[in-house]
Amino acid sequence: MPELNVLIVDDSSVMRKIVDRSLRQAGLKLKEVFEASNGMEALARLQQTRVDLILSDINMPAMDGLELVRQIQGVDNAKGVPIVMITTDAGEARVIQAITNGAKGYIRKPFTPDQIKERVIPLLQV
Amino acid sequence: MNSQTQAPRPGRVQLILSAKSSGPSEAAIKLASLPRDETQQRFTLALDSAVTEVFEMMVGISLGSCGQVTLPRVADYTAMIGLAGELCGVLSFRCSLETAAGITAKMLETIERPSQETIRDALGEICNMVAGSFKVRVSDLAAQCWLSVPTVVSGSDYQLYPLTDGMRMQVSRTFGGTLLWLTLDLHGN
Repeated sequence: MPELNVLIVDDSSVMRKIVDRSLRQAGLKLKEVFEASNGMEALARLQQTRVDLILSDINMPAMDGLELVRQIQGVDNAKGVPIVMITTDAGEARVIQAITNGAKGYIRKPFTPDQIKERVIPLLQV
Repeated sequence: MNSQTQAPRPGRVQLILSAKSSGPSEAAIKLASLPRDETQQRFTLALDSAVTEVFEMMVGISLGSCGQVTLPRVADYTAMIGLAGELCGVLSFRCSLETAAGITAKMLETIERPSQETIRDALGEICNMVAGSFKVRVSDLAAQCWLSVPTVVSGSDYQLYPLTDGMRMQVSRTFGGTLLWLTLDLHGN
């Protein structure tokens, strides 16, 4: 698998670091990891940078993960990039909304590197 | 709770934690039909399993048991998150400064002492994940339940007053020999 550029979106800097570490522990080779603390920052980053994978929290200030996923569909630079939601709020309605908006999967917090591997790697091989 | 009902000292910050229900829901009716002790025991077990899972998976440590230990009047750190919908209330996580710094350092896999801001961030996430994990464990009773953004209070001169009139679940555990407490105060409706 080639080295990946990844965007991690979460309002918690601790959680962004844990997601970064878990991706590496899951065996993914990361070229560059970009971070954003909300949907607005993530959109601004995606206008400038092409990434291979986006992992996003749902509950965030300024712009939440569900709105981010919806708006990403209109960003040329992000067309076809798999988006995985990582959230404590994995209720059925929110998961359905995330998938409807364009997310390819979700991971419930707390998670293990194995769960990341299980959910993320198949999306990168499509 | 006795320590929380004492008259506040002048100048002491009082934090009123309010949780209002929007009225009896299907879940509330279902809960009300169950024996209170049984529900309280089940919720306490769910809370205990939730905190165990979060610490094992995200902090990389198994918490020790210590039985039921009296809730401290004031802890250096209190992280809180509100639950709304079919279950309505406040979940709080309390620990000392040393424990909070230790938990944060373990989460980040660092030996450096984390900053206050990083500690607050980490405790907020712990509280958030415990609430999420608890929700999953009782989803047959309350499928529709939402979480607020976590709030973390630090210092030594404050008191908490949860304005719930229902059930209180409390779990005490140890982290590296020091105590931490979780309480879940649920609204009575």
